[in-house]
Amino acid sequence: MRRPAPHTRPPSIAAWLVSLFGSADQAESILGDLEEEFSDIASKSAAASARRWYWRQSLKTIAQLAGAGVRNAPWPLAGLVLAGFLLQWFSTGLPEGVIVAILRTQRPYSNLHYDFYISFLTYGFPIAGDIQSILLGCLVAAFARQREVIATTALSFLGGASIGLLFFDASGHWSRFAYSWPFPIVQLINQLAIVLGGVIVREIRLALRKGCHEHDFNWTDK
Amino acid sequence: MSNRDYLGEFEHIVLLAVLRLDDQAYGVTVRREIEVRTKREVSIGAIYATLDRLEAKGYVQSRPGDPTPERGGRSKRFFRVTAPGVSAIHRTHRAIRSLAEGLDLLGSRL
Repeated sequence: MRRPAPHTRPPSIAAWLVSLFGSADQAESILGDLEEEFSDIASKSAAASARRWYWRQSLKTIAQLAGAGVRNAPWPLAGLVLAGFLLQWFSTGLPEGVIVAILRTQRPYSNLHYDFYISFLTYGFPIAGDIQSILLGCLVAAFARQREVIATTALSFLGGASIGLLFFDASGHWSRFAYSWPFPIVQLINQLAIVLGGVIVREIRLALRKGCHEHDFNWTDK
Repeated sequence: MSNRDYLGEFEHIVLLAVLRLDDQAYGVTVRREIEVRTKREVSIGAIYATLDRLEAKGYVQSRPGDPTPERGGRSKRFFRVTAPGVSAIHRTHRAIRSLAEGLDLLGSRL
């Protein structure tokens, strides 16, 4: 069968998102099935409707794979997410502490680097927080074999929910945190950075696996 | 598997579709068979999540096929129903028949 023209290729972002969930073997068969049906639909109707079908199927498939990933090993996953949450909780303020320690030793404010000092204080804290979140995501994902993105997404939701509670005071009204606008944005980016850590580990594992397969193929080819 | 383990509704449907397709059962054909026979739209993800569960229970077995160009060079995964899978279908059918026995379903208000 002839392959579709480049403009009727399946949406690559949707395919990439599907590849992040489930096992590598599962992703291989599912993406193959989706592409086969996409080619069939694209040859019978407009490319736009085929792409819509692909996106709809991909999103449903991601939800199913994530649900199955949780159902297949609920307790190890819950333990891992809880451990990640506690680690996040107890390491809160660590990046800020490191930055303050650097500032104390370098004393940039006492010389001509005052602008640098101000920039460091303004952007250093959130950037350090993001790096901390990425590392946390990588650590959790390293222990969540085949479920890297599911575990880090669950952790980011849990972290987001706990931070969301800070937006309300004891009487159930909006707290002062909700009005200090960078705070919610910075926290949201921190939670996304945790998922990014999971995606990084997943991609590295997929690349290593692909490399191993190619090595095996070349070996058997000789 | 226990002798009292019955199939869920979707597990039942998927197993019957795999049985009908014989040696041509893979994600695309199973999904189409279910859509044609039940007029119900299902996602590929739902099919695989169910087939993986059935494989873990020993009701189906899978084997990889060859990669093909229309699938972007990816291989198919063919499924077949095992003997315990066929027994599970019979067990579930018997349970449903036993429950339906004596009920006037055609004359009901449904």
